[in-house]
Amino acid sequence: MAEVSLRGVRKSFGPVDVIKGIDLDVAHGEFCVFVGPSGCGKSTLLRLIAGLEDITEGTLDIGGANMTRVPPANRGIAMVFQSYALYPHMTVRDNISFGLRMVDTPKPVITARVAEAARLLQLETYLDRKPSQLSGGQRQRVAIGRAIVREPEVFLFDEPLSNLDAALRSQTRVELLNLHQTLGATMIYVTHDQVEAMTMADKIVVLQAGQIEQVGSPLELYERPRNLFVAGFIGSPRMNTIPGRIATVIDGAARLELPGGAITHVQLNGTRLAPGPVLLGVRPEHIMVDDPGTSGEGLAGTVTLAEHLGAETILHIEMAHGPVLVARADGRAPQRIGQPVTLTLDPRFCHLFDPAGPALMNAPG
Amino acid sequence: MFPTPLQKQSPGARGLYRGVVSISLLVWLLPLFAIALTSTRSLDDLSRGNYWGWPTDLRIAENYTAVFTSSPMGRYLLNSVVITLPAVAGTLAVSTMAGFALAQYRFRGNIALFATFIAGNFVPFQVLMIPVRNLFVHVIPLYDTVWALVLFHIAFQTGFCTLFMRNFIRELPDALVEAARIEGVGELRIFWHVVLPLVRPALAALAVLEFTFIWNDYFWALVLVQSDTARPVTAGLQALAGQWLASWQLMSAGALIAAAPSIVIFFAMQRHFIAGLTLGAVKE
Repeated sequence: MAEVSLRGVRKSFGPVDVIKGIDLDVAHGEFCVFVGPSGCGKSTLLRLIAGLEDITEGTLDIGGANMTRVPPANRGIAMVFQSYALYPHMTVRDNISFGLRMVDTPKPVITARVAEAARLLQLETYLDRKPSQLSGGQRQRVAIGRAIVREPEVFLFDEPLSNLDAALRSQTRVELLNLHQTLGATMIYVTHDQVEAMTMADKIVVLQAGQIEQVGSPLELYERPRNLFVAGFIGSPRMNTIPGRIATVIDGAARLELPGGAITHVQLNGTRLAPGPVLLGVRPEHIMVDDPGTSGEGLAGTVTLAEHLGAETILHIEMAHGPVLVARADGRAPQRIGQPVTLTLDPRFCHLFDPAGPALMNAPG
Repeated sequence: MFPTPLQKQSPGARGLYRGVVSISLLVWLLPLFAIALTSTRSLDDLSRGNYWGWPTDLRIAENYTAVFTSSPMGRYLLNSVVITLPAVAGTLAVSTMAGFALAQYRFRGNIALFATFIAGNFVPFQVLMIPVRNLFVHVIPLYDTVWALVLFHIAFQTGFCTLFMRNFIRELPDALVEAARIEGVGELRIFWHVVLPLVRPALAALAVLEFTFIWNDYFWALVLVQSDTARPVTAGLQALAGQWLASWQLMSAGALIAAAPSIVIFFAMQRHFIAGLTLGAVKE
């Protein structure tokens, strides 16, 4: 069993606090993704778990044993680097077996493990090539192979797909998930790409400025973001936010005044809110776009940009008074640039945020 | 912004360029040419003042044989080899390890130590003459042995070489070393199996450079060595000067013999040398 748990973990480089107190549990066999904007400390956190950086304060347990001061080699981990870190002067076979050879593993064991990893990663025909003779995706697989042969309890991935092109990235994503299923090991994966996080993770950890903003399953984060940062970071295109104010609360529903005097009603589902300024959050797929005049209560706007993706069309709509909203419409949406439209926000999927950040109410779904 | 490539300039400009290059090359090579020619002359030729004309009788074999028979030139050459090879090897070994430590380990005083290595390069070696001689006479009793020169060259050349190797190793991706550390590979094995193979071009370049420096050293050969048993070929050329009469033809032949090894090494290793000096300048 290899669960990873961090308690009050801090890291400072001189006077600069990079990780500011992290408490986190990753269960055995879980695929956990650290996601956040660049500079949020996600890679540093991974390096703390790996042992490549010393933990300034707090404790790290792997598989129930305290690993806070244990050297990287004895933590039962393997790491795949963003740059792959393949040894350019060694063949694929030597790259994969290097660590084992250096710690004097018996030859037959090495041969067997390399063969198994090569089979798993479809690298059999490349074993005698040098890394420079491989494509990006193959190098990636060699790096993973090097991790597999160590038979670690925990795999650490540091943005492993960021050097691959888009097609290869989605393919490798699937391969990694299959690998996770096959090996059943705990995997911790760092990325800045929220699509990777959403598609791969059992558990997503959203980090910002060295702190955890929210931990949860992909859908949990998508549907119930705890604050504006998570709401904006998870989901693409990002959640729309419209400044407004709660005018009155009657019968568990808030009457919301939006810029330009438009009015909308939001069910509060038992949440008690006082009148005052709020941010209304609504995801692009929960905005209905109609021709003007077809619905009574709506927000007037003009289409400024239409991204036709085939299956769907992303419409950018400038409201008469207020921000530009992004709506996800049908692939055959008839709206064209410059066309006036009326927007209806689905009241079942509206979030309310305190302008300072915390969520006041998440959509009931 | 950039100068027009030569191939695209006017024929006049190209002609001028070729002319100037040829003249500089000629001026540059003229002394060498004169020495080569002198080494084939007879003494009579020189006494008659024939310095630049074709030798009246070619005495190549005689002169070059005389270099070895009239002086312990063989012994000097051997001494040079015995001094230069261990000194180059020692310098490279010490400076590569020091460079690895300075490039890879974060410790208090790292930068200060590195700065000391750099600063050491600016010490004029003449200042060291008396103290170093005294050191080898009184403290380390190696004065007048090849080991004095070997040790001194290792110590003195390590400053520059460490600077060179540290910067080169610093350019290697940290992830390579980190990946090995995670796999439980010890630091010495990381150095030997990961770092060393990757700095080979730099080592080759440095080896050529150091070989020439140390082989051609004259100053320290004079300061630290007195007797024929330890004297390298550069200092040994004096022995050919003759007591009453300057035998220029023998000194020229000796000088060419002394210079030959570093020239041969340079041309043999030229490919590595140039590759090493420009390596890392361009990202792959």
